[in-house]
Amino acid sequence: MVRISWVIGGPQGSGVDTSANLFGDAIAKAGYYIFGNREYYSNIKGKHSYFTLTISDVPTASISDDIDILSTFEAETIFQHFRQLKGVLLYDKNIEGAKLSNMMFMEHEVRHNISQVLSSHGLEESISGVLSYLKNNGITVIPIDFDSTLTKIMNEVNQSSTVVGKAKNVIAVAASYGLLGLDKKFLIAAVSSIFKKEEYRKINSLAVDYGMAQVQPKHDLKALPMNGSRLRVDGNYMSALGKIFGGLRMQTYYPITPASDESEFIESHQMLDLENEKEELKKAGAVVLQMEDEIAAVNTAIAAALTGARTATATSGPGFSLMCEGIGWAGMNEVPIVITYYMRGGPSTGLPTRSAQTDLKFALNAGHGEFPKIVIASGDHTEVFRDAFWALNLAEKYQTPVIHLIEKTLANSYTTIDEGPFNYNALRISRGKIVKASESYRRFELSDDGISPRAFLGSGPGKIIHEGDEHNEYGHIAEEVNIRFNMYEKRMKKLETAAKEMSERDCINTYGNMDSDTVIVTWGSSKLPVIDALEMLKADGIDIGVIQIRVFSPFPKSAISRLLANKQTIIAVESNYTAQAGQIITENTGIMPTHCILKWNGRMITREEIYKSIRRIKSGASKRIALNGGV
Amino acid sequence: MAESELILSDWCPGCGDFGILRAEESLLKELGTPLQNTVVVTGIGCSGKIGQFMNSPLSTVHTLHGRALAFATGIKVANPKLEVIVNMGDGDGLGIGAGHFVNAGRRNLDLAVILHDNGVYGLTKGQAAPTLKLNEKVKSMPRPNINGEVNPIMLALASGFTFVARAYSYDVNGTKEMIKAAIQHKGTAFVDVLQACPTYNDINTKEWYEKRIYKMTDIDPVVKDPSEVHQKIANAVLKAGEWEDKIPLGIFYKNETISNYGDRLSANIPNYMSYPPAEQQIERNGIPSTLIEKLVAPRRILME
Repeated sequence: MVRISWVIGGPQGSGVDTSANLFGDAIAKAGYYIFGNREYYSNIKGKHSYFTLTISDVPTASISDDIDILSTFEAETIFQHFRQLKGVLLYDKNIEGAKLSNMMFMEHEVRHNISQVLSSHGLEESISGVLSYLKNNGITVIPIDFDSTLTKIMNEVNQSSTVVGKAKNVIAVAASYGLLGLDKKFLIAAVSSIFKKEEYRKINSLAVDYGMAQVQPKHDLKALPMNGSRLRVDGNYMSALGKIFGGLRMQTYYPITPASDESEFIESHQMLDLENEKEELKKAGAVVLQMEDEIAAVNTAIAAALTGARTATATSGPGFSLMCEGIGWAGMNEVPIVITYYMRGGPSTGLPTRSAQTDLKFALNAGHGEFPKIVIASGDHTEVFRDAFWALNLAEKYQTPVIHLIEKTLANSYTTIDEGPFNYNALRISRGKIVKASESYRRFELSDDGISPRAFLGSGPGKIIHEGDEHNEYGHIAEEVNIRFNMYEKRMKKLETAAKEMSERDCINTYGNMDSDTVIVTWGSSKLPVIDALEMLKADGIDIGVIQIRVFSPFPKSAISRLLANKQTIIAVESNYTAQAGQIITENTGIMPTHCILKWNGRMITREEIYKSIRRIKSGASKRIALNGGV
Repeated sequence: MAESELILSDWCPGCGDFGILRAEESLLKELGTPLQNTVVVTGIGCSGKIGQFMNSPLSTVHTLHGRALAFATGIKVANPKLEVIVNMGDGDGLGIGAGHFVNAGRRNLDLAVILHDNGVYGLTKGQAAPTLKLNEKVKSMPRPNINGEVNPIMLALASGFTFVARAYSYDVNGTKEMIKAAIQHKGTAFVDVLQACPTYNDINTKEWYEKRIYKMTDIDPVVKDPSEVHQKIANAVLKAGEWEDKIPLGIFYKNETISNYGDRLSANIPNYMSYPPAEQQIERNGIPSTLIEKLVAPRRILME
């Protein structure tokens, strides 16, 4: 199996993302699967950002602790990452003199840690010191002459340094690419896909030539045949696409990381093509409203849903905190509304650009009072799409808020997926019980399954009353005991109806050897390193099972109880401090995880972290393992 | 109408809300908009119950404290064919909901916004609301008001409302005319309806108001050309400053030369008004109607 870990880094705003896209695109064109995780500070220009990319010959969705190729033209990236290097460093030969003390954007604590490593080895606190460290550890260091390469290109194309200077990233990419042994044509094709202007294509193609010429291949990758087409996707895109395909026609939002990209994508593509015989109805617009705050965002979306439009909002923790009252109103008024909840590190502003799974219990308990809420969590990019689509169906079928949990890790990472299994055309829309408001219409009519026929505002001559106070079947305020008793029960019953109608396949994924007496329970993007670690463990003779929970409310009680019955070792793997999913399992089934592997530092869990932790658990070392890897 | 549907109001005797209720129900009959396309959106407080007390076959949405404008925005944007009337209290709309009030002005969506302005939080027993003056003490307040007051007319002008007027709720006909003009206005229209709270506001009583109110005849509030905006707003602000001895009623400002939100959305979505979000067909026999190939194609990995 091929698994190469590549990292490119640089100051925020210097083109790190474009470089990573270019590199990833070239690798994908060569027939390899990629998974790229993006790490960045809450900052626009200057602070350290980087991209970790896994190259694999099989579908992959995890990152490594180790770096096979580190590519950069600036010093801070080298200081930040040299301890992870196992393979090759590509660097700008003109920065050898750069001193650790001059890294103006570096946090004091980071500087202190690096300083300690270098001084404990008796090395100078500079790039030269780092280079000695690397050489002593058998790491190959390859200086790249960025400046004279750029000058050469400048002379050839007769352009200013401002225009040509941007090709610096491409030189770094090309040098990395040259190490892989792949044909140049894939990178040239990637340059053509990304740069549309002939002038830039020319400059960057030269950068590819000169960049690749400065290295010798270290790997021996051959182009792989692709059976069927592949897509390169990120989480924000997949959520937006799932919603659009699912018939979303209005989305509201207030700017927040890492959720806004989704709304901006929808707005950019708001004129949609529709299947319709009538020429004038072949195009229609989805409205995206940027509201004054998340309180307005959620309530505007809820109100829009009363007219029959499928609506949603997307936010992150701080925004969701503000939305709770509105979600309660939607619960009380039985409004279909989807809240796409991109989790990031909290509490408060917390780690605005880093990932977390700390809001599962918050989502489950959002809002005062008791009302049915459906909470689903996606574990990979394809699930993000399917769940975004599904959430709109669930909301309308059960006429209640649906919270779709996605983490920053999934939002901002990108990967390649096979289009065949993605097969979105098999999905179906179901809108639940819909009627026109007749003169005797009762919005909250009691029914066996708890679901009342829903009429859209303006749909008929009948009065439609929505009411946040407790109300009777018409919607009139009512505090009489029997009405309260029955209305409360009616609302709650919808969750039981949903539980009956959801299949086990909808709620749970299993992987690995489910006959093993050891099983991992995980959710969201934490499943990604777990799945890739299974192979590594299997090679050591550890063959265990994995349960990924995808629906937390209604909780798949009987399925989880059955799958966990008689297991000796149950390991919760989550990106939080308190093993929230583990607690929810216990609350619902009485079964407690025996161990947990937890990470709350905001960085994605790596496959080695899982591998090593399971080994430790197997050797009886620890009940609770706290991970702290990453930069 | 079934008997179980008929609801009698539970406001205090003499409440100013009655006048607004009577004004709205009678003008809606006169306007000719089909009632099934009319939606009354309210906030929380005594004023918020107005929808519950309407017996006409229109639809009502009783929302959250301060959030009526956010809800109204969602309804109107998703279905611009609906007539949306917002009722909110001064605590509701200018206290907890002040952010939405200001931002509604920026959008200029075609909404009528009716402020039930009585200076107190009636339903929580008479605390000071945003329009109660500094140092005033109405009867259930333990101490005089240590917060200054908001001038709703000036705030509406500053926020960009394109129709700004004031009425007095015991003058039902006058209130009706103002609300009617607000509904007919193209853009976000605001009517500050002065009203007494006979239970908790023992300062701004019926007698107190009736000594002071008068109908404005000395300004021409209508902007006919964008070049007049500054002067017309300045005139309106001067009138809005009157309070102690005489309180003007009528239209302070009206400007239909500014694009409304529907126009702005239509600039991006040419068939927005004729085929709005609420009416779009999204599936047929469960098969999604939206074609996404155009969005998928750029993500396909190709060797060109």
